[in-house]
Order: sequence, then structure tokens, then C-alpha cells
Amino acid sequence: MTRHCMRAWLVALLSLGPASGEAQTYLLVVSGIGGEAQYRASFDEWSTTLLTAAQDRLKLPADHIVYLCEDPDVVAGSRKSTKANLDAAVMEIASRAEPDALVVIVFIGHGSAVGGSARINLPGPDVSAEDIAALLTRFPTQQLVVANLASASGDFLPVLSGSRRTIITATRSGRERYETVFASFFVRAFASDGADTDKNERVSVLEAFEFARREVNRHYDTGNRLVTEHALLDDNGDSKGSTEPDPRTGDGAIAASLFLDNPLAAAVATLPDDPELRALYQARQRLEQAIATLRARKDELAPDIYESELERLALELARTSRTIRERETRNPE
Amino acid sequence: MSIGRVRVFVVALTASLVVFSGTYAQDELATARTAYLEGRYDDAIDGLTRLARRQPAASDVGRALVRALAEVGRYDEANNAAERFIAANPDSPELWTSFGRVLLLQGARAKARDAFARAVAGRASDALTGKLELGLLLYHSGDVAAAMRTFDSFIDTYNQSRSLSSGDLTAVATAVRYLGIANSDLFHDALRTYDEAIAADPDNVEARLLVGNLFLDKYNGSDAREAYDAILERNGDHPDALLGLARVRRFGGSPEAMTLVNRSLETNPNSTQARVFRATLLVELEDFDRATQDIDHALGIDPTDLDALAVRAAVQFLRNERPAFDRTTTHVLELNPRFGGLFVTLAEVSARNRLYQEAVGFGTRAVQVDSLSWRGYAVLGTNQLRVGNMGAGRANLEIAFQGDPFDAWTKNTLDLLDELDRFTTVPTERFHIVSDRNESDALSLYMTELAEEAYARLANRYGFRPHTPIRVEAFTRHADFSVRTIGLVGLGALGVSFGPVVAMDSPSARDIGSFNWGSTLWHELAHTFHLGLSEHRVPRWLSEGLAVFEERQARDGWGDALDPGFLLAFRDGRLLPVSELNNGFVRPTFPEQLGYSYYQASLVCEFIERDHGFTAFPRMLRAYRDGKSARQVFRDVLSTDLDEFDEAFEDYLRARFERTLAVLKPVETPGHGGEHSRDAILARARQDPDDFLALVAAGQLLIEEQRFDEAEPVLVRAKSLFPEYAGVSSPYWYLARLFRERGELDRAARELDDLTARNASHYRALLALATIRDTLGATADAADALERSIYVYPFDADVHRRLAELSAELGTWSRAVRERRAVLALDPVDRAEAQYQLARAYMGAGDRENARHTVLRALEIAPGFEAAQDLLLEIHDARSNR
Repeated sequence: MTRHCMRAWLVALLSLGPASGEAQTYLLVVSGIGGEAQYRASFDEWSTTLLTAAQDRLKLPADHIVYLCEDPDVVAGSRKSTKANLDAAVMEIASRAEPDALVVIVFIGHGSAVGGSARINLPGPDVSAEDIAALLTRFPTQQLVVANLASASGDFLPVLSGSRRTIITATRSGRERYETVFASFFVRAFASDGADTDKNERVSVLEAFEFARREVNRHYDTGNRLVTEHALLDDNGDSKGSTEPDPRTGDGAIAASLFLDNPLAAAVATLPDDPELRALYQARQRLEQAIATLRARKDELAPDIYESELERLALELARTSRTIRERETRNPE
Repeated sequence: MSIGRVRVFVVALTASLVVFSGTYAQDELATARTAYLEGRYDDAIDGLTRLARRQPAASDVGRALVRALAEVGRYDEANNAAERFIAANPDSPELWTSFGRVLLLQGARAKARDAFARAVAGRASDALTGKLELGLLLYHSGDVAAAMRTFDSFIDTYNQSRSLSSGDLTAVATAVRYLGIANSDLFHDALRTYDEAIAADPDNVEARLLVGNLFLDKYNGSDAREAYDAILERNGDHPDALLGLARVRRFGGSPEAMTLVNRSLETNPNSTQARVFRATLLVELEDFDRATQDIDHALGIDPTDLDALAVRAAVQFLRNERPAFDRTTTHVLELNPRFGGLFVTLAEVSARNRLYQEAVGFGTRAVQVDSLSWRGYAVLGTNQLRVGNMGAGRANLEIAFQGDPFDAWTKNTLDLLDELDRFTTVPTERFHIVSDRNESDALSLYMTELAEEAYARLANRYGFRPHTPIRVEAFTRHADFSVRTIGLVGLGALGVSFGPVVAMDSPSARDIGSFNWGSTLWHELAHTFHLGLSEHRVPRWLSEGLAVFEERQARDGWGDALDPGFLLAFRDGRLLPVSELNNGFVRPTFPEQLGYSYYQASLVCEFIERDHGFTAFPRMLRAYRDGKSARQVFRDVLSTDLDEFDEAFEDYLRARFERTLAVLKPVETPGHGGEHSRDAILARARQDPDDFLALVAAGQLLIEEQRFDEAEPVLVRAKSLFPEYAGVSSPYWYLARLFRERGELDRAARELDDLTARNASHYRALLALATIRDTLGATADAADALERSIYVYPFDADVHRRLAELSAELGTWSRAVRERRAVLALDPVDRAEAQYQLARAYMGAGDRENARHTVLRALEIAPGFEAAQDLLLEIHDARSNR
């Protein structure tokens, strides 16, 4: 994890230039038509879980969050998830989002792929993958995350794939048309603690995807059922999604550096002004990189040599981290 | 299933009609023929007898008469009919084949051989059949090479002939079928040729019969059944078709097998094949006396019947009559030195009686005697797997399958062995725990502990230590477990013990909460002890009863529990007496009888323990080991007669359950005077406060309507009437829910305590109890409930996390370590966190080395993980301060 985080960090430095102190995250959650009461309840629950996490845990400003749903009376400030309102919401965000903002659009609901046209079922006319692709052209410079968590969503991926876009679908094709549970776990990744696998106290988009993917498999396994949904992630713009993204070889590098609480621009670690503290931060970064490098060489080294070197580096890193905390506690900036 | 002897009876009635038409009244013959084909044997025989008297030279009448008489077992009359024809027509070879077959049915081999030779030499119209019979005589006397040469010549006959009669085609098909033993492709040719025979004469019943037999021998029960049904549609009493159908039913495990063979014997009481088959069923029921009667009858007709002698040997073996057994086996091998079927029968009988090592011995002899005994290789290989000899077992099954690729059992088992190659084996002091590699890390944590505990406790109780290691296999798919046990899918059991090998469903093989794997494992290991101590001679009812009994000793709430169905069966007289209790396991006559038999057998054990103490059990097991019969064991160990014991046990049940029986009132079903409307249910409960079922139904209804205050007294009353009941809809469960809704957590916890003390498989109750106890601050009780839940389902990471936390609070660090290891084994997404928590638990347990190693694993994944960094420093500081 550390290795690909570092790579993404480099990518961010190279692609975006100087960090903008004004870059923000904008979240649009679109909950489609449920049909039956059980689905309406599920879609509402998943949407509100994500919205609550966005505000309470990820500290997104309320005016950066837009919620479109089937029944706007249920959640104050929400609007009906019609195609027209979706269009309006996108336009609104596009007009406000900074050039280097992170725009996250999440679709929850039923999907279909009838007659070769991938769609999400909304109140009134459905919205197709092509419709959404057209909407996304309003973000020429921003970093986009589009997560279609509906059934039969896989066919959206090749249509929406592109530069500066991370596309997530709950299924690998339009043929996986049974109801999905991916959404429940994806939103839970942001709402609870279990997804932060690299323990940096933040959940990246890749971590959320991985968490959800594995919990989906566990869900079906525990119930002794066939796995009828296989989520995909594409962030390298090649129109091909990966079920198990590996930042070293394909998809996942960008997603690993995207955090809803801070857009890519802010993923660049800012160094403190205090020279001693600055040196400690740099030392910490070097040690983390050294551990990542050591890990990459694990198979080449004798086990006892690997272990003792890992321990040496980990101890030094631990002491450095402790020193940083002590200093910061004494002199909070 | 062995091939056995196949006797070919060619019905040549149709062919003979052409000869007849110019000479005899066609109507009379047609009438007699129709009567025969429709199973009106007396009419057919009378008609043919009259015709034969009038026309003593009519060979086809003669043949038909001999055939009809033989078919109903009137062999003496058949002999006479044949001899009359031969005397009246000394130059005619036409009756010699038919006569030879009747002689063969009576064991007169030499005379039969002579008769067939005469038919062949005289170029009788059925000479080809005579030639086949000569070949069969060679085969069944052990001269397999000569027999195969004879059968081989039939292929040339077929290929070179322009047209063969239906009877001749049947003979060719049968010859090719025997050639199929060495070349399994030829079975398809045999089938095609039988079909040709039937096409040539649709009334060729024998060809149809042989098709059915061929399908059955090749494990195709459904096509076999179709073939037999086609015969029985016209002749519902055809003895060989009924016998064939009986075999199909036995193949499918149905109790109808006995009914059908009885019907077969009603038509032909002298059918040695039917007698032998019925005897085999009786041996399975352990009714050796009646089995012997059937065998004696069969051997009285044909003293050389090898299958009958094999069953006789089996009975002598099971009864431990060694000298008689040796004489019988010697005699069989004198008759046919290559009769591997003897040892196949002995192996199968041994395996059915759980004498697996003996089955291996007999299987070995089967293949030594007959290297083409594919069934021999199959029983040998299967039983080698059962005693844990995996390599040799697999090798012999490969041979069996190569020789007989139709054997579904063997194929399934070989496929299963391929699956087992992907399993992980975890060795302990006395066990090899073999499980799916995806589950092994988690499951083996608990299975190893429990298995070792069971061994230690049972060894102490019985004063006996089975050989180790004992192999325990847990299958994630029930179908695989089923194949491991019987070679086919569809077995209803949860586990099986072969003695040194135990196989069972993994907890993931079934829905969560549907069974308790811990009690299942204990049950099967108890079998290992009982089988070992009795050298596998313990009767089924006692071994099952003791195993359930031992479950109850191991943990509260383990072992089968009392349920209303059992009591109603007792009240209605449907329980078996102890002297017949084995039947409940081997041939249950109604679906619930198997389950009731388990519970009943366990009550018998409780009854014995009450009156004679636990030490009676090891003494009983040793008595069975020493070859004593049930009556002798009861007399010698329990000082009682079996019939007296039956009466005393019934009195015991009555006294024990009298009160509960009184509260189980009849339930009318809708359409039979019963109303299931809401008001009717409540009214019924009000009318009779002693009607347990009505009270439970009413209580359940009131709970669902959230009328808790009204529900409470109803459910409390129900509970008091039948306190043992802890099933799915027990009053305990509803009362717990009621109290929980009201916030009376202490009372809810007490109900759940009582419920799970009686039913430790109630997963939801255990988890609910843990939550409530935790909320009430009763940490140890909460931990105990979670611990017990793991024996139902060990793959819930949240349960292990909670139990780890509680264990840490209680300071039981070894358990905390185990639980954190379980979390890690379940492949959590946040591995770094799981490693860190395990490292913390190791520290708590004072195991700094493992703590260090484990926290490094966490930092390897997430170097920036501050809590793990701090723990590493803590460990390092502790090491430095030593």
C-alpha cells in the first residue's frame, strides 16, 4: 500500500503543479427509483450512510454535498432524482468547482442494460451511460470519481472511462442484473474504521473499493450463494476495469491517492515550517519509503535478514513518529 | 453390486409360431402364449400341458412349457416335461438347451453341461444359446480364459450371419456383455444387441430383463427401472422383473426392496436369486436366522449356487462361526477358484457392519482370486480410504474405475480425492485435522482443541485409547461428505466415523445455525471409541445411543433434545422396542423414524446408566467384542432378559414423560375441523390452559402483535408444562424477546440461559445472550456464550473480535490470542489492525517474541500505523529492561 501511495503522491506532484489551498471535494449522491419498499429502504439507508459520513467523518462542507433521491420529503434539502435535476445539479457543481477540485458522483439504485443501452432507473426518464458521459464533459480539469453502484452497471465503465476519471461499477457487465450489495459495503467503508488498511487515518477510493469488493465476496460466501456481482475499477483511462486493481501494474494508482476528505491536490504532504520538525517529517518519509523498498525486495532476501532490517527501520520510524508527536504536542502550529 | 450369474432364458415362442401354424390350433397356442406373457401362469401351463400331450413332438410347445414351469419354480415338473419330450423325440435336439437350464437351476452342472452339448452337437434351433450356456458354465467354474474364447466366437457369429433370431441375438448380447468385463466399451455393443433382439421380437421378455440387469449392473437405476416396468406392465407378477425392481429400490436405499422381493418369491418361491437377495436384505437388518432360512432354501434347490454360499459365509462370519465359515469359503473356491464375488460379498457385508479393516482384507482376497473383479478393487479401495490408507485406496479405485468406468461411486470418490488434495492437514498429538485450505486456519484452531479434549475425556471414561493419529475430515460441501461416506450424494447425516477416520460437514457446509459442529465432532469421536473397544461389533442402536449420550456429557445443550414429535410417536406406539431398534437406523419405515431412533437410543443409555452405572457400557462393548449376541449381553451385563428390558424401558418412558404427554393435545388441521385463524388460536389457548401447543401458538401470536403483557403469562404457563422443549419456537425464546423489548434484560438473559442450556445449537440465542450479558456487565458470561456459539459457527469475525475483547478484559489472554488468530484467519480487510490486535494479545499473554513478530507484520503492511509503532517500542523497551 505504501509504495503505491507514494507513487500516487508523485503523480499528484507532477500532474497538478503547486498545491492549491482552495481545492475542495464536491459530492453528488443520486439515489434512483426503488420500485419495492425493501429497495427504497436500502437505497435510502445507503445514501444517508454516505451523506452522514461525508459530513461527520470526512468534514465536507454541507454546501458541497448534493443529494437527489426518489422521495425528497425524507431528507431535508434533497431534491427528486429526475434526469432534469441531475443535469441541474451537475451544472451547479461545475459552475462552482475549482479547476483542481475532486468531484465525486455516486449512483445508487437499479440499473439495466436493455437493448445494448446501459441505464440507471430514475423517477421519470432513465439516464443512460451516454447521458452521464455528456454531463462529465462539464468538468474539463477536475478530478472525477464516478461510482455507479447499481445492478447491471458494468457497461457504464467503457463509456465513462477517461483521463482524470476514476470509474467504479458494482458489476462487471450489464448481464449481472440481480440486486447488488456492493453499495452497502462501499458506503460503509467511509462510515466505519475497517477500510483504512494502510492506517493513515484516511480511506482512499481504492481502499473503499477493496473493502467493498472483499466484503461482497464474504457476504455471498457466508450465505453459501453464488457471487452474482463483480465490481470493477478503472482509473487509468483504458476503458477496461479491474476486479482486483493493482497499482503496480494497472488500475488503482490514482484511486489510491484520492480521498474524499481532501482532493488530490491536498494529498501532497505539506511540510511544517519549523526546521527541526521539517527534518523529522522528511526523515519519516524516508523511513516509510525505505520500508516500502525493503518490502518490494522481500523475496530476494533471506528471511532473518529481512526481518532484522524491517525491525530496525520500523523502530527508527516509530521513534521518529513519537518524537514528531511530542514536539507537536508541545508546540501545536 | 456384483455381476452374479446371468442366466439366459430365451423365449422362442414367437419363432415357433411359424412352425406351429401349420400343425396346431393357433388359437390355443396364442391363448397359452398370451396367458404366459400376462403372468397367468397356471392358465398358460394348463394350456401348454394339454397341447404337449396332444402333440408330443412339438418342440416349441415343449420349450414353452418347460420355460413356464421353471419361471414359477416348478422345477420337478419342468424336468418331467423336458424328459417326456426327449423320450418321445430321441433324435430331436430341440429341448436340450431348455432342459439344461432347468438342470442348472437345480445345481446339476454336469448333466446341464451334457444337455447343452447335445443341443449344440445336434444343431438345435437354439444351439447358439446352448453354446452360450457352455461358456457360462466355464466362466462360473473359474475357467475364465476358455469362457472368454467361447464368448469371443459370438462376435464372429454375429458379424458373419445375415440374420439371427431374437433368441440368438440375446445369446450374442450376453456373450458380449461378459466380454465387457475385460473391455468396458463392449457393454454398449451388448446393449445394442439386446435392443436388436427386442426389435426382432418385442415379446422377448428375457432380452428386456437382461437389459434391465445390464443397466443395474452399470449403476443406471432409472433405465433399469424402465426396463423392468415395461415387463411388469404386461405381467405384474414376473418374478425376475420384480427381483430386478427390488434391486433398483435397494440401489436407491428404499425400504420397498423387501416388499418387491417378497412378491417375486410369491410367484417363484424357488428362485435362488430372489432367496439370496432377500437373505442379503435380512443380513443388513441383522436378522440372521431368517436370512439363513432363505439361504438353506436356495441351497436346497441348487447346492452349487455361489451367491447363496457367499451369503451363507457372510452370516457365518458375522456370527463368528469360524470353522463353518472356513468350510464354506473352501467349498466355494472348490466350485470356482476364481469366484471373487465371494470376497466382494464378504467385504460389502463387513463394511455395512462397520468392520472396515476386515473389508480391506476381503477386498484384497477378491482381487487376488479374480484380477478382473473391478467391484473387488472398488470395495478394497473404498475401505482402505475408510481406515486412513489414502494412497493405496486411491490406487485401487483408479484400477476399479479403469476396469469399470460406469461405476459412479468410484468416480465420485476419485473426484473427491482430487478435492482432498487441495485440503490442508493440521497435525496434533493424536489427530490429523483435514479441511479446506480456505477454512483450515480458522477451523483448525477450534477443531484441534476440541478433538484433543474429546480424546482425553473419552479415554478416561472408557479406559481405552484408540490408535492414533485419528484422521478428521471436514467438507465444505455436503455433497462431498456424502460421497466420502457412501460414494453418492444425498446422505442426510452430518458426520460419520469409520473408526480411525471421521468425516463430517464443515460448519460452512450448511446454513448457519442448522447444526452444531462441535457436538457432531464429539459424537463421531465417541463412535471411534465405541467401535474400537468393541472391535466394531457394537450394534448400531447402542453406538448411536452412546454417542448422543456422550454429547450430553460433554456440554450442556449438546445431543438430541426432546421434541413433541417423539412423544407423540411414543404415545401412538410407533417407537420400536429396543430389541428391534436397529431397524430404525437401517430401514426406517417413516421419515422421522431415524431421528427418533437416535433420541430413543440415547434414552435407553440414560436408563441403563441410571440402573447399572456408567461402567455397564464398557462392559457391554467388550461383551459385543467377544462375539456375544444382544440377548447374551443383556443377560450377562445387565442381568435382564431383552424382552423384560423392553417392558421396563417402556415403563421408564411412560413415567418420565407422562406429565408432558398429557399436555400434547391433538392439533386439527385446516379442513379437518381445525381453525387456524387468529381468534381460534387465542380461544383454544384460553379454553385449555394445559394445551402446550395451543399456548405456544397463542404466545407467538401475541408477541408478533407486540401484546407483551398478555403474552407473558401464556408463555410462562407453556414453559412450565414442557420445560424440556427448547426447539425453534420454544417459550424460552419468545419470553426472552418479550423481556428484552421491555428492557428487562436480566430476565431475558435468564430465559436465554435456560434455552441454550437445553439447546446449544440455537445460534441467535447464544449471540443475543452474549450481547445482553455484556450490556449487564457480566463479562465472563458473555464470553462463555460467545465461546459456545463458535461450536455452531466459527467463521464470524465479529464474534471472534468481541470474544477477544472480553477475554482481554477478563485477563484470559490465551483465549484472547486464539480469538485474534481466528480474526486473522478469516482474512479481514484491515489486516494491519488484525495483526496489531493479535500482537497486543500476545503481549498480554506474556509472549513478547510472538508479539514482536506479529506487530512487525502490521507495520509491514502499514508502516505509518502509530498504535503499532508504539507497541513495537513498548516491546523493545520491555526487552531492554529485562
